[in-house]
Amino acid sequence: MKSKFLALLGSAVLSAGVAQAGGFQANLQGQKQIGMGHAGTGLALDQSSIFFNPGALAHLRQNGIQLGVSALNAKIAYREPSPGFSESTTDNPISTPFQVYASFGKEESPLRFGIGVYTPFGSSVNWGNQWQGRYGLNELTLKTIFIQPTISYRISEKLGVGAGFVYSTGSVNLQRSIPLTDASYNEAGVELDGSASGFGFNLGVFFQPTEKLSLGLTYRSKVEMEVKDGDVTFMLPTSPLVAGQFQATQFDASLPMPANITLGIGFKPTEALTFAVDVQRVEWSAYKSLRFDYNAGVRGETFSESPRNYEDVFIYRVGAQYKVSDIFTVRAGAYYDNSPVQEGYLTPETPDSDSRGVSGGLTLALSDKVDLDASFLYINKKERTDDASKSGGVAGTFKSVAYIPGVGINYKF
Amino acid sequence: MKNIFYRLGAAALLSTAFLFSGCEPEFEEDITLSKGPLDFSKYVSVGNSLTAGYQDNGLYLEGQVFSYPNILANQFSFVGGGQFVQPLFTQAQANGSGYLRLGGFSSTGAPILAPVTTNLAVRTDVAPLPGGRRLTKFTGAIQNWGVPGISVLASAVPQYGGVNPYFERLLSDAEVGQVSYVQKVVATQPTFFSLWLGNNDVLGYATAGGVVDPANPFGGITPTATFNAIYSQLAAGLSRNKAAKGIVATIPDVRSVPFFTTVGPTFKAGLPAAVPAVVALTKSAANRTVIAKNDIRVGSTGSALFTLTSTAYLGLLGQPTGRYWRDQAKAKYPSDAAAMDQELKRLLQNYQLDTTKMFGLSAENPLPSALVLDAEEQAEIQAATTEYNNIIKNVAAANDLAVFDAFTFFNSIQTPYSMNGVTYSPAFITGNLFSLDGVHPTPRGYAIIANEMIKAINAKYGSSVPTIDVTQFRAVLIP
Repeated sequence: MKSKFLALLGSAVLSAGVAQAGGFQANLQGQKQIGMGHAGTGLALDQSSIFFNPGALAHLRQNGIQLGVSALNAKIAYREPSPGFSESTTDNPISTPFQVYASFGKEESPLRFGIGVYTPFGSSVNWGNQWQGRYGLNELTLKTIFIQPTISYRISEKLGVGAGFVYSTGSVNLQRSIPLTDASYNEAGVELDGSASGFGFNLGVFFQPTEKLSLGLTYRSKVEMEVKDGDVTFMLPTSPLVAGQFQATQFDASLPMPANITLGIGFKPTEALTFAVDVQRVEWSAYKSLRFDYNAGVRGETFSESPRNYEDVFIYRVGAQYKVSDIFTVRAGAYYDNSPVQEGYLTPETPDSDSRGVSGGLTLALSDKVDLDASFLYINKKERTDDASKSGGVAGTFKSVAYIPGVGINYKF
Repeated sequence: MKNIFYRLGAAALLSTAFLFSGCEPEFEEDITLSKGPLDFSKYVSVGNSLTAGYQDNGLYLEGQVFSYPNILANQFSFVGGGQFVQPLFTQAQANGSGYLRLGGFSSTGAPILAPVTTNLAVRTDVAPLPGGRRLTKFTGAIQNWGVPGISVLASAVPQYGGVNPYFERLLSDAEVGQVSYVQKVVATQPTFFSLWLGNNDVLGYATAGGVVDPANPFGGITPTATFNAIYSQLAAGLSRNKAAKGIVATIPDVRSVPFFTTVGPTFKAGLPAAVPAVVALTKSAANRTVIAKNDIRVGSTGSALFTLTSTAYLGLLGQPTGRYWRDQAKAKYPSDAAAMDQELKRLLQNYQLDTTKMFGLSAENPLPSALVLDAEEQAEIQAATTEYNNIIKNVAAANDLAVFDAFTFFNSIQTPYSMNGVTYSPAFITGNLFSLDGVHPTPRGYAIIANEMIKAINAKYGSSVPTIDVTQFRAVLIP
């Protein structure tokens, strides 16, 4: 008994990871752009324009296919409010946001068709079932895959427009502990698991007034991810009286993937050097609350709702690429991302704060047809202390960092 | 193409090299812990059942391990605290005095409490003491001197070791009945101490529903002057003219615990419309008092409180029954039928009862005083509690001691509140704070108390003793 007590007192080793951008957005949609602080809305770099700016796709000289993947390696540390000093930190299973883009169209035609499959939102947070905030969250896995058929039209050498339809599919899995301990000292818990889907669109305009200057403006709509008849599984003490309190077996939920408006500028002072600046507005205010509707009562309620009240934010991105030789290009960039999470609303799902990202990248042209991209992004979120009084979250101080290497391959035809 | 995949593989391998480099998120500020001017090398805890870790109507190993002094000692260990020896029961006798566990729920949702009677530390080789059966001894240089049942009054009485089995177990045979509790604890000469005593100077009277057993010299309310004299002497003895620092705790309002607040509201709601009032005995004599339905306390309205132990009898309301009195007589003489009969007759005569009349409704068969704490009894308890708490605060000031104001704290938790996603309230079983006896905290409750004490110590002495993660401690175990 004594040893058990002492074991409990040791700081728990916990596991956590976090989506790399504000909220649960994962801005990792093209290896070249990641190398430049994820800027590139005002450029026609490659097939990833399907995501970054459908209006620029028709300005690409060649058709091609691009595959890329990132290894998102993130960690969060938590420290309880003073004078407490329990901390939790550790590794997290690496998540792998990916992107696939392909474009088709006759060489001389102003019309291009494209399809993109990418993962713009997601989160993988695993705090384990021992930490102090476990009644808020043990583990959350949110996955989305956006599939976007796209059409792009080159109105002139200077102007292009494009539009894509987005079908989104995904899943959500949330586990948390319930503060009920059975006679064998097992703590109760609940798991919500469901698949989700939604629709949206992606519009873009690309304008290249001179050889040296190009502009892009895109609007990616909100996608409401709806979960229908997801599974609710309770792990409870066996007493029927307790089971009677937790009768739900299915849940519905809806989670907004917010709209983005991005203005990008590209500037090419020389043939080899390119600068890119993006200003991205993310309409996070769509995320008002996290609500689960149950098919039967949970402690007498048929739903649970906790406020989020995210606010709209701006992300500022700058990047540059330099073509060292015909086969070798290098990139660097940075961004600053404001947190959509207001004071008092911090939660263990997304213990978010203003974040700074720096990145680098390179491209190796292996042949006329094949390019290899590599990128590396380091994200450092500001340490943030919050009482979580408004979100029903976990009070304390959070700090997150992420290391995200990525590789991509382009095949042009 | 083969060449491409080779290079791709090499690039991927290169990328993963980053993954293994150190990338720990780090906080800007290091944690600063400090003992301030305090010396925790020898911490001694002085007090009653709360200090012993008593819960679920018993003292057993788990409760001892999760006692607030043990939690405090653990936290002190981060700022130079020394060893802390508790008089723990052995694993083989882990269930100590025996206790109550939650066996299940009745069809109406009422909790079914079952006694734990195995692996006890109860001694059968010796005669029981007036305060109950004796327990396996633990003598030696202990630091947790929590003795369930002890009051300030009893702490000064040398004979008390021959009365209370929890005190007797901590004494050598030669000391039993010869050495007072005050003498024992003052002799430990701590460098830091906690002192939480005085609850039983009113609580015994309260939990007995205002009844004083004439055979128990410690069953009443201790006179204020006596309390002041003993408490001052005890604190001064521990402090040794401020050589030792420490923390004292005030006495909670007994009306804030589920033992008194759980039954009344349900009882009131279940009273038929035709019953406007019940009648009960008051205090220790044969006087009756009428309790109107609206006098039953619900939340902060009304006054009369019904004890948790009254549930067994309130269902008999209106029936011609003398079951309570038979149970009392039987408890006193479990194996002597003649003596039991005699005792029952004495009780009926003493309280002028006619058990053929309607229980609780007829003045001839009133509710027993021990099941009800009426307004008059509460007024006495209130007055004493306030006076004791003033004494405790004055003594703390005189000896430069920190104060944990348990009175204020226990009143503050009357309003349910949430911490780390857990709701806490004084509700029985579901409130997470109180154990199955409705008076003593759960391990979680004790951890919360330990944290409050640490905050009071830090505030008083400018130390930085860390608090503990209370979610690692259990509340009531649910079958």
